[in-house]
Amino acid sequence: MSAEFSGGPENSALSELLDRSIPADAEAIATVVDAISETLARLEVPEQKRFEVALAVQEALANAVVHGCGNDRSKQIRCRLKSDPQGRIVIIVTDPGPGFSPDLQSDPKRGENLYADHGRGVYLIRQLMDEVQFERSGSEIRMWKY
Amino acid sequence: MDINVRKRSQVQVVQLRGPLRMGPAVDGLRQTIQEAVGGGDTRIVLNLAEVPMIDSSGIGLLVRFLASTKQLGGNIKLVQPNKFAVQTLRLVGVLNLFEIFDDDDAAVDSFA
Repeated sequence: MSAEFSGGPENSALSELLDRSIPADAEAIATVVDAISETLARLEVPEQKRFEVALAVQEALANAVVHGCGNDRSKQIRCRLKSDPQGRIVIIVTDPGPGFSPDLQSDPKRGENLYADHGRGVYLIRQLMDEVQFERSGSEIRMWKY
Repeated sequence: MDINVRKRSQVQVVQLRGPLRMGPAVDGLRQTIQEAVGGGDTRIVLNLAEVPMIDSSGIGLLVRFLASTKQLGGNIKLVQPNKFAVQTLRLVGVLNLFEIFDDDDAAVDSFA
């Protein structure tokens, strides 16, 4: 079964570690990324894994700001961090936008795309995280790290 | 992000400090490079030793200006990207587009 659709651990077994809402503003992203990094450090998550999660969260929030909210600071983006008893974590980013089709993203590693100035965010998230799910027509992303 | 620029041997050496990510950091570096190129300086060294993270916006900026400076006969060369920056550049397939050096002197000398 594709990692895209395997569903992850049961939601009922998840503990909520962080629940933040920020305005759709690039400058607000750092506060959430830093809070998640600090939380994972307290949980003694290894540095490599913390980096990969932090970058994936950065990318997801950036997409939410730009594509989900059109850089409209009056809109809010929600980011939650949860974990299960086995130490697996999930980050859920939700925006109020209409969503998008992640399967329609072009391959950023294809020749003509290598010099593009955008279009790498979703690809990076999929490379960094162990499982990625898009819900609500793409306006919510769930990213798992095992 | 802190951006420090100095000129050595007709090469702009740009020292960055902080995450290179969407927002003021990428905007600031974009302006810095645009000013350099606008002033005729297309040979640029970016010292990334104190850059803990580069996101896709930062990467987009780097490759866009790599292409444009090369078209003008220049280049953008990188100094001391950390292991995470290297990992990110490699993941999206652009690491090999850049020349990477251990220090500013070597990068500047490579333009000769």
